[in-house]
Amino acid sequence: MAPVVGIVANPVSARDIRRVVANATSLQIADRANILLRVLAALHACGVRDVLMMPENGGIRAHVERGLMRARGNGTSRGEDIYPALHTVAMPVTGTVADTHRATAEMRRAGVSALVVLGGDGTHRAVAAECGTVPIAGISTGTNNAFPEHREPTITGLATGLAVTGRVPPHIAFAANKRIDVSLNSGASGGTVTDMALVDVALVTERYIGARALWRTENFRELYVTFADPEVIGMSAIAGLLEPVGRDESGGLMVRLSPDRETRGDCRKGITTLHAPIAPGMMARVGITDWRRMPAGVAFVPEVAAGSVALDGERELSFTERDRLSLTLRDDAFRTVNVAAVMRHAGQYRLLTGTPVPVTAAF
Amino acid sequence: MAQNPFPLGKDELLKAYRTMRTIREFEERLHVDFAKGDIPGFVHLYAGEEACATGIMMHLNDNDRIASTHRGHGHCIAKGVDVHAMMAEIYGRSTGACRGKGGSMHIADLSKGMMGANGILGAGAPLICGAALAAKVRGDRGVGITFVGDGASNQGTFLESLNLAAVWNLPVVFVVENNGYAESTAMEWAVSCDSYVDRATGFGMPGVTVDGTDFFAVYEAAGEIIRRARDGGGPALLECNMVRFYGHFEGDAQTYRAKGELEAIRASRDCLTILSERVIEAGVIGRDELQAIDREVNGLIEDAVRAAKAAPLPVAEDLLRDVYVAY
Repeated sequence: MAPVVGIVANPVSARDIRRVVANATSLQIADRANILLRVLAALHACGVRDVLMMPENGGIRAHVERGLMRARGNGTSRGEDIYPALHTVAMPVTGTVADTHRATAEMRRAGVSALVVLGGDGTHRAVAAECGTVPIAGISTGTNNAFPEHREPTITGLATGLAVTGRVPPHIAFAANKRIDVSLNSGASGGTVTDMALVDVALVTERYIGARALWRTENFRELYVTFADPEVIGMSAIAGLLEPVGRDESGGLMVRLSPDRETRGDCRKGITTLHAPIAPGMMARVGITDWRRMPAGVAFVPEVAAGSVALDGERELSFTERDRLSLTLRDDAFRTVNVAAVMRHAGQYRLLTGTPVPVTAAF
Repeated sequence: MAQNPFPLGKDELLKAYRTMRTIREFEERLHVDFAKGDIPGFVHLYAGEEACATGIMMHLNDNDRIASTHRGHGHCIAKGVDVHAMMAEIYGRSTGACRGKGGSMHIADLSKGMMGANGILGAGAPLICGAALAAKVRGDRGVGITFVGDGASNQGTFLESLNLAAVWNLPVVFVVENNGYAESTAMEWAVSCDSYVDRATGFGMPGVTVDGTDFFAVYEAAGEIIRRARDGGGPALLECNMVRFYGHFEGDAQTYRAKGELEAIRASRDCLTILSERVIEAGVIGRDELQAIDREVNGLIEDAVRAAKAAPLPVAEDLLRDVYVAY
């Protein structure tokens, strides 16, 4: 059966307060649609003929359909269809993250081979919560975006197309990813997972969700990351600039931050001051008390008694002294398309030449 | 009493609740009295949208100017306009904020920095650019806030004002109150770029979208945007996604809404309920304290209606009074 690729494109990412407190990007709806057209063209070039898309009322699909219509109508495709057929998941649109959850679950049930995701870390988290074993191909259209790698979307589309059509061996095409499960007031039997993060869980003293974003460093208390990458921005950057931990390593990093504003920037014993890019264009000094590795499968109970839990850079849950909170990192929690590995393989085995070397012949 | 986790002290939280409750009671009473035929003219109710006006106006003082819309009662109350004078104005009485000659859509009080509700869609934006230019020239750190609905954001005046504010780096905040419907037309049928933040970006200013039913989300975002404008950082756009509990105007049958839509938003997106549950749950304010405010506000609105009904109507000579103003 020909592979079908699912697409989740979030029209409301990159709209938060970090456009004012920092200089975060505002990717326009028309640009998001252009990204999708590039992905669709690449998927079609690899043999994908059907794509299933999440419905939304933010305008992305309308712009994409207009692009498809113009390509077919004005002759740029020279009589050939250069895009796959676009289908939409039949579901009501609420304009909330519930749409992403539901669309992902529906696509998984429909048997899509991969999910191309346009959004920030929050959108990818919502997809990862429901995608099961379906691999994600992430495209960054959000604010901090530590999880999706920055790359030309055409290449992400190509890699996804090559992966789902079986032209690259699965052990090369797909990579395992980590997540941190957040449990609030679970019972003795372990209870249910309240939520999870793909990159970072930050505990801050604000006990209201408000504008969601994190930028007041004086309120930062504890940080848990699945990977600590000095090349990204946001919470993961704080950890990454202390002790890098790769996406493909087991476990993550836990960091305790200084609760005292006065310690910021001084050389008091036991406090390390770090200058970190906590948001786009926003460098901030944060006091670090200590940090340690966070092994997979070990539940961490925070010292912070009350505050908010920020998942992948956004406040999502608040907790009080009465609540029991624990955090557990899981290795191999979900899969992504390993774009770099797929494209390297495509080059080595000339998959995009007229007579590609069969995969079986390469081993 | 538990430690206050919110960005406002208890007194400020009570003030916010009182303001939102006052708007709600004011509008609920107008809904009833308009249906009875007691009120002349036309009214557009702000019920359901209280968190937006209140979350923004908590950051302003009387020196800051706002320019409102046809749905302006909430803006007036949150900016501090006297409720008795507003009610009398809507009842068309000579004790009204504009001596009974403006009605619901033209309430103004310059002493409070309220430049007026406005029956002309998109007309507030250029007015506020003028006020903001004056504040900038005077150097008094004043800011201007203009409100516009999702429908009126298509007006040329609004788009020209975005450009002007950006070119002159004016201390203006453009607030798009997006309740999903331009009168009866859903946004996706009428707004080409689909996102108001995209519009702001096109004019070279930052735009932010928040949940307009969450008082704290509006308060926090508005605080940063207004501080930036006050400090000379220039204009910005704030989109508040919100819901209105009544029709576009009183008497609107709302046939454009899906079945059950109104009941659903009243049940799950009532900004007053959301705020009160948060502060009670946090242990900062007791339910009895909020109920005391409810009773007090009830009395205030009741008294405002009683006073309005007892006040005299304008006389014929008032017709030509205040038409021209000497500077």
